[in-house]
Amino acid sequence: MDLKERVCDELQKEVPKGASSTNFNTQHQQKWEDPSSTLDYSTRIEPPFQAFNQTCQTQSLLLCNNQIKVPMQDGSINDLLQQASKIQDWDPSAMLNNLSFLEQKIHQLQDLVYLIIAQKGQVLGRPDELLVQQQQLVTADLTSIIIQLISTAGSLLSSVKQTLSAATTSLGQCGEFGGVVFPSSAQRLNDGVQPQNAGGSKVSEPPNSIDITSNNGNEQNNHIVEEHELKDEEDAEEGENLLPGTYEILQLEKEEILAPHTHFCTICGKGFKRDANLRMHMRGHGDEYKTPGALAKPTKESSSEPTIIKRYSCPYAGCKRNKDHKKFQPLKTILCVKNHYKRTHCDKSYICSRCNTKKFSVIADLKTHEKHCGKDKWLCSCGTTFSRKDKLFGHITLFQGHTPAIPSDEIKVAPAGTSDGATNKVGSVNFNLSSYVSSESEVQSSSMDIKGGIDDAVGYFSPLSFDTCNFGGFHEFPRPPFDDSESSFAFLLSRSCNYSQKSGE
Amino acid sequence: MLSFQSSKNVLSLTEDLLVRIYELLAAESDRKSFRLVCREFRRIDTLTRRHLRVIRIEFLPILLRKYPRLQSLDLSACPHIDDGVVSLLLTRVGPGSNSPILGHWAWGLKSLVLSRATGLRFSGLEMLARACPCLESVDVSYCCGFGDREAAALSSAVGLRELNMDKCLQLTDVGLAKIAVGCSKLEKLSLKWCMEMTDLGIDLLCKKCVDLKYLDVSYLKVTNESLHSIASLLKLEVLGLMACPLIDDVGLQFIERGCPSLKVIDVSRCEGVSSSGLIFVVRGHRNLLELNAGYCLSQELSTALLHQMKNLNHLEVIRIDGARISETSFQVISANCKSLVEIGLSKCLGVTNMGIMRLVSACINLRVLNLTCCHSITDAAISAIAYSCRSLVCLKVESCNMITEKGLCQLGSFCLLLEEIDLTDCCGVNDKGLEYLSRCSELSCLKLGLCTNISNKGLSYIGFNCLKIHELDLYRCTGIGDDGLEALSNGCKKLRKLNLSYCNEVSDRGLGYIGRLEELSDLEMRALHKITGVGLEAVAVGCKRLADLDMKHCEKVGDSGFWALAYYSKNLRQINLSYCGISDMALCMVMGNLSRLQEAKLVHLSNCTVEGVELALRACCVRIKKVKLFAPLRFMLSSEILEILHARGCIIRWD
Repeated sequence: MDLKERVCDELQKEVPKGASSTNFNTQHQQKWEDPSSTLDYSTRIEPPFQAFNQTCQTQSLLLCNNQIKVPMQDGSINDLLQQASKIQDWDPSAMLNNLSFLEQKIHQLQDLVYLIIAQKGQVLGRPDELLVQQQQLVTADLTSIIIQLISTAGSLLSSVKQTLSAATTSLGQCGEFGGVVFPSSAQRLNDGVQPQNAGGSKVSEPPNSIDITSNNGNEQNNHIVEEHELKDEEDAEEGENLLPGTYEILQLEKEEILAPHTHFCTICGKGFKRDANLRMHMRGHGDEYKTPGALAKPTKESSSEPTIIKRYSCPYAGCKRNKDHKKFQPLKTILCVKNHYKRTHCDKSYICSRCNTKKFSVIADLKTHEKHCGKDKWLCSCGTTFSRKDKLFGHITLFQGHTPAIPSDEIKVAPAGTSDGATNKVGSVNFNLSSYVSSESEVQSSSMDIKGGIDDAVGYFSPLSFDTCNFGGFHEFPRPPFDDSESSFAFLLSRSCNYSQKSGE
Repeated sequence: MLSFQSSKNVLSLTEDLLVRIYELLAAESDRKSFRLVCREFRRIDTLTRRHLRVIRIEFLPILLRKYPRLQSLDLSACPHIDDGVVSLLLTRVGPGSNSPILGHWAWGLKSLVLSRATGLRFSGLEMLARACPCLESVDVSYCCGFGDREAAALSSAVGLRELNMDKCLQLTDVGLAKIAVGCSKLEKLSLKWCMEMTDLGIDLLCKKCVDLKYLDVSYLKVTNESLHSIASLLKLEVLGLMACPLIDDVGLQFIERGCPSLKVIDVSRCEGVSSSGLIFVVRGHRNLLELNAGYCLSQELSTALLHQMKNLNHLEVIRIDGARISETSFQVISANCKSLVEIGLSKCLGVTNMGIMRLVSACINLRVLNLTCCHSITDAAISAIAYSCRSLVCLKVESCNMITEKGLCQLGSFCLLLEEIDLTDCCGVNDKGLEYLSRCSELSCLKLGLCTNISNKGLSYIGFNCLKIHELDLYRCTGIGDDGLEALSNGCKKLRKLNLSYCNEVSDRGLGYIGRLEELSDLEMRALHKITGVGLEAVAVGCKRLADLDMKHCEKVGDSGFWALAYYSKNLRQINLSYCGISDMALCMVMGNLSRLQEAKLVHLSNCTVEGVELALRACCVRIKKVKLFAPLRFMLSSEILEILHARGCIIRWD
């Protein structure tokens, strides 16, 4: 089943269920606890898109949100939020009020549970529906209590400068409840603080904030990925060996993969790649986004339930990373998907401005290359370049007859540039051949550009033709001493000679 | 001695017999006499001559034409060898020439010595390497400007077996990789002072050149990693690791397990190596022939090491300079290493008469013994040495003050094969001692520096008896005067190297005697205040082979002497004229006229002007390789001349 459809279904299901305003549905409940596990990438992408379009068209985002999300409203929470708003100003009486409310709520809950226990004997004959409903009610109430507790703690946090012992204890409590819930509740808190924003905006927040939370969770993952395994997302999971079926395979569409932004401002519609940037941006939209709660990085919640492992499939048919491939190897994260797709199935549109030869499809690759481009080029006689000397020496050790080219060799560099163009046609035969020669696994390695391929061809073949072709060492050291024009000519000659000989083989 | 009648018989000898006779002539001077006999002999010489050491470049084309069977060419003494000359030689005298006689001189060449050919660059080297397909041995040591490109040029000589690249300062791993890949048959490689080299290069070398038998990486900043690579060389016999500061005992552990053919190892002056490292080496290589561990055994020789050394039954050479050593250690060594030929105990602490007696009692084959700065040994030890080691060839007892004529008497009585003795700073040596010593008629090298108790009388014994002497050091022997030199010049006709510095009594008459020494090539006569231009002229006229002259502080020598020097000493290669009263004109003459001059020290020339020095430098700039100048001149000389000198690879030292 297509991921997107499935997710949409889920969302649709969610809406009518939530319509019974008295209770949260269980699924929703689950979201509170572990947003990242249930909400997946599609949901993350879709709503912002929607929001984006709407802002553009109607400029009535709040209303739209309202219409969509109103069913999710929970009256009791609304009350709580109003309570919380008072706490914001750190009023001991309000605090007491709040606590007493909590107490009251807990008692209510206790009563309810007693009731359920009492009913248990009577409901034998009846279907379990009521029981389920009651359970949901209980959990919903529990949730609200938790939220209340946390929002209290949040308010304490904002006014904690006096370092009241009470505040620290509630902070401690806050810690016990785990961080994921915290920002969303803080969001509510903010809503409460600004009653004039009122109604729609406020009530629209819960689902929205859930979204953001889940986004945050995911984004956080991605963020880490971006930092540590930006380059080799494909290698990163080679050793994983997940058994087929033990994980869930998700597949995004091309458009989703190539979308430039994944986080969108709900107010102005501006897109961002990172949630953190969005949060920074949100500060400009009002003081309510400046609270520590709103700015805090949502942390991942360690859920007690074992979550289903998610792996991703490339939408490109025939790709090894596509789930229909015989030797399918899944991609680990969304970012892996993005980088893989761009590197393997997209044009290399970023050209290094220094060497004008290396091309990249992922801008980070270009930046990495540019850091090293031009400086400390370790060049082999076969034309392959290395950024590190030990890599070059490893290469030379491996291949018979390869020698390092003398670095900072100005005389040589010039002819090499011209000759590559000139010999390209001659070498084209070899180039095709070379892609066969280079092992199949290398086909995917998009970082190797065409020039590298050609040079590799020389490299692969030169051992064969080395003895015959290497009269006077022109091939490996094409730099006769006398003058430049002669040397470049000689170089061309020897290179093309080399090529034709090989293509003749 | 050929009489007139028998000369007919000699001429009737067949060519192959003449060739055999010729080949038995070892000394260059004898060969010269041989080829001067007649045309036929000269023809034999040209046909059989394999080795050529060229001194003057102007004759090189003729010589190359004359000797078609040349296998070895030494251009190290030849100034201004550069790319142009090489190109000329190869095109005019090479395969491109029309004349069949001119061609092929490079084709048979197997060995090429280009040491100190600082004017040469990669292009010339590359031409040479390509023109000589049989090239097996190349020496480019002390070509300080050589680097990766020169190495790349050399790598086109694929048959290369021996390569000496000492002090090619610009050489890096890349150049070494070129050579390692290009010359995979390499058996002998010396990389001393190639300071840019790292483990990567050595590692690649060891992987590509698996036939290496000789590898010298002395003074390099290589680490134990390199030793790990080197340990994989199955054929390696000689390993030089002198003064590698980053090598330690852990690295030597690799050597213990690797290099199964190792015969010679030198770890002297390696700061990180201690007794335990040597234990690894000794334990892994029972057949070791030579162990050089000078100045890395600061503590006493550990008993564990001595225990391991018991197994080195084949050890011939051991040098443990600077170590602390006890008498019992001597006993262990002498009892087990019976085939020892050379022992180096220079600057060792704890060397006593008793220790030496125990040592030599069993080492009867000892030929070389170095006891430099073992201050506590006396005549007793020398007597024991003389009595036990009858085949002693070389004895160094510098700074052993307690040695007197008694010890020398024993040496003169028993060690009749003695060729070299260093008695520098042995105050106990007197004329009587020299008389005893002169009985060693094989003596060729005698060092008597700072022996102030010897006089002309003692020197005359040497002059009468030691006719084979070719090196004599009389530094600060203030008792020596002209009469001693007269006796010397009458007997020691083979003298090549003489040091007369600070022998204040020597005057022009003495130098006149020196002028009779035709073989003399190296003369040091600093601060001889009595000598004038007359004496210098006598030396210049008489010593045709003079190559190295140091006359610092000879202030009375006037221009007439320098004019004579400029006119006669065509073979002069190095000169020190510091603190001399040479004038501008004479300096220009000396520097310009001496076409072989490569190194000059010209500091504190009080009679010279800046213009004079500049002119002199211009006169010699094409061939000079090293020059020492008065520091303030740096800003007075024109930048042009300095640039020219620099471009020619000349090193300027400012003092």
